[in-house]
Amino acid sequence: MNPTTLSMLSREPHVITAGTALLGEALDQQAVARTDVDWRPPVPGTAAALAAALADPRRERANALAVGRMVSARPRLAGVRPAREALGLEPGTFLHAGPPISWERASGPMRGALIGAMLFEGLAASPEDAEERLAAGSGITLDSCHHHRTVGPMAGVVSPSMWMLEVADAEHGGTAYCSLNEGLGKVLRYGAYGPEVVERLRWMGDVLGPALQAALALNGPLDLRGLIAQALQMGDELHNRNRAATSLMVRELAPAVVEAAPGHAAEVLRFINGNDHFFLNAGMAAAKVSADAARDVPGSSLVVAMARNGTDFGIQVSGLGDRWFTGPAGVPDGLYLGAYGPGDANPDIGDSTITETTGLGGFAMAAAPAIVRFVGGDVADAVAATTSMYEITLAEHPAYQIPGLGFRGTPVGVDVTLVARTGTLPVVNTGIAGRVAGTGQVGAGLVSPPMEAFTAALAALTDV
Amino acid sequence: MNDLVEVRAGVYRDSVSLMRVSQALAALPGVSVAIVAMATELNVGLARDAGFAVPAATPGDLLVAIRASTDDAVQEAAAELERRLAAREAAGAARHEDRPPRTVRSAARAAARDAAGSGGATVALVSVPGEYAFLEALDAVEAGLSVMIFSDNVPVEQEILLKDRAREQGVLVMGPDCGTAVIGGAGLGFANVLGPGPVGVVAASGTGAQQVTSLLDLAGVGVSHLLGVGGRDLSAEVGGRSAIQALRALDADPATELILLVSKPPAPEAAGAVRDLGLGTKLVTALLGPGQDDLTTAVEKVLGALGREVPAWPCWPAPPGAPGTPGSECRGPLRGLYSGGTLCAEAAVIAGNGEFTDFGDDAYTRGRAHPMIDPTLRLEALDAVESGVVLLDVVLGHGADPDPSARLAPAVARACGRGVAVVVALVGTDGDPQGLRVQAARLNEAGAAVFTSNAAAARHARDLAAACVHS
Amino acid sequence: MGGRTQIGGAASIALRPALESPRRPARVLAAFPLAVYLEVRSEYEPHVIALVSGEAARLPNAVVVAAPLARLPLGDECWVGEGSIGLGGVGIRVRRWWDPAPPLGSAEPSRLTRALAHLDDICDHSQRRPGLDVTGAPGLLASGCLAGSLVDGIVAAERLLGLGPGLTPSGDDMLCGLLVALRHLGLAAGAPRAIWLADWLAAAVTYDARTRTTPISATLLHCAARGQAGSEVLGVLRAIAGYQPLDPAAHRLLSLGHTSGADLAWGIRAGLAAVLSLRSWPAGR
Repeated sequence: MNPTTLSMLSREPHVITAGTALLGEALDQQAVARTDVDWRPPVPGTAAALAAALADPRRERANALAVGRMVSARPRLAGVRPAREALGLEPGTFLHAGPPISWERASGPMRGALIGAMLFEGLAASPEDAEERLAAGSGITLDSCHHHRTVGPMAGVVSPSMWMLEVADAEHGGTAYCSLNEGLGKVLRYGAYGPEVVERLRWMGDVLGPALQAALALNGPLDLRGLIAQALQMGDELHNRNRAATSLMVRELAPAVVEAAPGHAAEVLRFINGNDHFFLNAGMAAAKVSADAARDVPGSSLVVAMARNGTDFGIQVSGLGDRWFTGPAGVPDGLYLGAYGPGDANPDIGDSTITETTGLGGFAMAAAPAIVRFVGGDVADAVAATTSMYEITLAEHPAYQIPGLGFRGTPVGVDVTLVARTGTLPVVNTGIAGRVAGTGQVGAGLVSPPMEAFTAALAALTDV
Repeated sequence: MNDLVEVRAGVYRDSVSLMRVSQALAALPGVSVAIVAMATELNVGLARDAGFAVPAATPGDLLVAIRASTDDAVQEAAAELERRLAAREAAGAARHEDRPPRTVRSAARAAARDAAGSGGATVALVSVPGEYAFLEALDAVEAGLSVMIFSDNVPVEQEILLKDRAREQGVLVMGPDCGTAVIGGAGLGFANVLGPGPVGVVAASGTGAQQVTSLLDLAGVGVSHLLGVGGRDLSAEVGGRSAIQALRALDADPATELILLVSKPPAPEAAGAVRDLGLGTKLVTALLGPGQDDLTTAVEKVLGALGREVPAWPCWPAPPGAPGTPGSECRGPLRGLYSGGTLCAEAAVIAGNGEFTDFGDDAYTRGRAHPMIDPTLRLEALDAVESGVVLLDVVLGHGADPDPSARLAPAVARACGRGVAVVVALVGTDGDPQGLRVQAARLNEAGAAVFTSNAAAARHARDLAAACVHS
Repeated sequence: MGGRTQIGGAASIALRPALESPRRPARVLAAFPLAVYLEVRSEYEPHVIALVSGEAARLPNAVVVAAPLARLPLGDECWVGEGSIGLGGVGIRVRRWWDPAPPLGSAEPSRLTRALAHLDDICDHSQRRPGLDVTGAPGLLASGCLAGSLVDGIVAAERLLGLGPGLTPSGDDMLCGLLVALRHLGLAAGAPRAIWLADWLAAAVTYDARTRTTPISATLLHCAARGQAGSEVLGVLRAIAGYQPLDPAAHRLLSLGHTSGADLAWGIRAGLAAVLSLRSWPAGR
């Protein structure tokens, strides 16, 4: 076709209108097809940075490349190995969720999990001893999981003896890790460190990890992209609801577990079956390896990590390397277990927001109507939550689809410029940890990230 | 303290429903703890930790544990529990929540999805405040859409960037500060109702474009497309980026037999670029300013080039006895009170002297609507004229005041009553929503001389003012 | 404006004479969810006006109404003229004109040859079939046009006029497709003989169309005689001339009505084939 022609001259007009209502109404009077934009000014103070960021000649292509890598990743569960082996962790080194944090600024559940990990590693004789050593800091190294191709739910504490799920990206060749899920109740990731917690971690290292590793060796890698796509169609959103994914995973692995570890098969399968969230950690590693594939594209405004350490909520952006942009972590709005209430809740914590980063969790809420009532909403609210995320994302996932939206792909790839333009923050589904170390989970609900993390990243994009 | 502890075998509800029930019960007066949950090990443990004496139970059972200050409060909570467990979930199928898009980017996707097969949107019309217009316009260009930017106060470097990206994408940026476009008959912004026809218009002036297309319509000649480019496009800085693209597009358009370019005299480099295009279609140029043809003359040249007759442009002389008519006294200078900048400039050049005010200028539109929509300031100015001749423009069409004569005609009548001669340049077509002839008749009855050609109106006003001075 | 409800609309320029003349009475011929047909007591053509909603098929005699058709009071007195259509207390005023016969520009014969093969292929693979056996009168029409024989063409057209069931009989739709294709593609390819043929066939079919077929179909034949067509037909013509992709345009046309789309497509193919074969012929005898 002739390159000098304009297609609008030969087609029936269909006008997108943004701004003055009067001009739109004049088109309606002419029976011109019209799509109206519900336009509102961007977040105050961001106009100049937005103009500069959008003018960056690299942005459009960089974002297409980055989000294209994110959605084309083919994560496969390849193995289960101890962290010391997989990540080269030295004794005294502990990884944790979210952006980097010191013991001094760490919240209750983060401290509780670190104490538990000290006890588990045999680096302290008692919780008090562990606390003293952690506070003194000698021989102790704390670092963000995200700096080590790793994610961890809630406190996300990883120590050398813990066994890790290893997920490889068959498309781009990356690898990511996540710990094994301990189950519900009093567990390390929620900051509990009692004897039963440490005992369970020991059993996971002695029995569960090796059994799964043997089963995977026998079965071959597990296709997580296909499994997640199926689970979405079975009512999971893969963050707060993993029931279908866990079931599918058990179905895939059970025969191999029986063959590879006949002596422990029953207890291993019973453990996985008893925990509807067992898949969460595998899903997080799959999300991490997909998000990492999108890192380091110069000029890209795509968010490649959203994570919380119980004190700060931080994001990383593809075009801005390993820099963190943070704001205070909020307290989730949700429902509480038993007699707990909002006063018992810790601010938002965990790397599980890697699921939202890749278009799952809160972004896929319309796929999981069963969980929307966590926030007192109905199915329409779930649809609205997902629909609103299309406003701030760069793509629709080609494999992860939502039946209730006509099999539309999930909204994937948050663009910091779109967050600032629309004032719409990512919807995050999350568990709620007790604020006192050792309490464990107190509820679950929704949380909003701090806007300043996104506006700070936007400002940085225009500094480069 | 009164406790109610109960285990109901075989009653299943999903945990989230139950957490909601618990929350509702805990909010009742007197209730301190309410646990309604499946009797999993975790939940039974939580209830026992809270001091409830929970009997043996399995995870398939429903656990109820309520503590309240009085027995009545416990009973009240138990009754509420029954109501809630019995209540059927009124959760219908997922209602399709049609949330409007928040950005042009999102709207372009929505249009492509909803109008599958017809190819989605064809053009975007951006009229958000100038400092944000770039963001929305760039969305359109990146989505492969032409865009009309009605907004003003857009920095020139953003204009250049948008136009360069648009050329790469094969789309057109009309504006910023583009008031008028007509694409295949559809009027965007301020535009008149025009029939299809052989003349394509490229315009760097909105009201100038409305004048030429309205006159063509009155001559029975239709317009294929009217592409606005924004008042700054043919400046040295912008270099006619959009005008060049628009001219090329109309040159390639089979419906366009002749192109009319309406602009202030372009910067030399822009003029050179336009000249060097080597268009296959005949080009007539209407340049605005001293020493140039007026717009009406340019339209007459177009009609000549098409082999069409030049009609007598409709006009309605002032009624007998009105100021300015023979035998009626008229004393004082010429005042031009305009809403259209180009029309104002054209009239000022033709009149030679007099005091001309463009109420569409930024100085008068800060914090209020354009005078084509809100006539208040102009009416005040008209009411303040005590003598002489007043020349006004009234622009009809989409987007403009739905009935301008409703407020203007009484003010004209008052002015005539004070002995002021009123001349109106009425820009519009018979098809316009306001009705050209209805508006003309009302203004005429109020005492004004009404012209469809601004140049003719200006000449008439000039002659009246000259006569005033002599008398 | 007299307390009337005013609704805007976008009208085909074909309706300008009817709309801009003094008011004349009209009546509702038929009403469907997406289209309402009005018959105007007038010697002008088109004398039937289709009021359609935005999503309906856009006929060359259509006014697209800027409000749901369900809001129109169809039982009341109707009139057409003075720039408006009146239905009881509702006035539909034209706020936009569109062209049902936009010029196509010129097109290379080699492009048209390729387009014909492509269109044949699309139609042959489609489930949508014309409503008549194409070896009968349609066959004679196609072969007559291909051979430039006005006699065969007129004999066949006479037989096709009003042939078939429904609001727009298949025979009429085929003739419409053929007439529009001969005129527009003949002009685009520089085939004066095709245009000459279109003129004579048009004169023959419009002569007694009002008595030979339904009022709606008669009006559409009058439109086609002047080269005016619906947006789906125009889309296919533009695609044939290379201004837009052919596949989606052809499928949109084929999906029209029960067999209307396939009938129109058959007419376009016959017309395009004739244009290619008559390209080197001089205009008249």
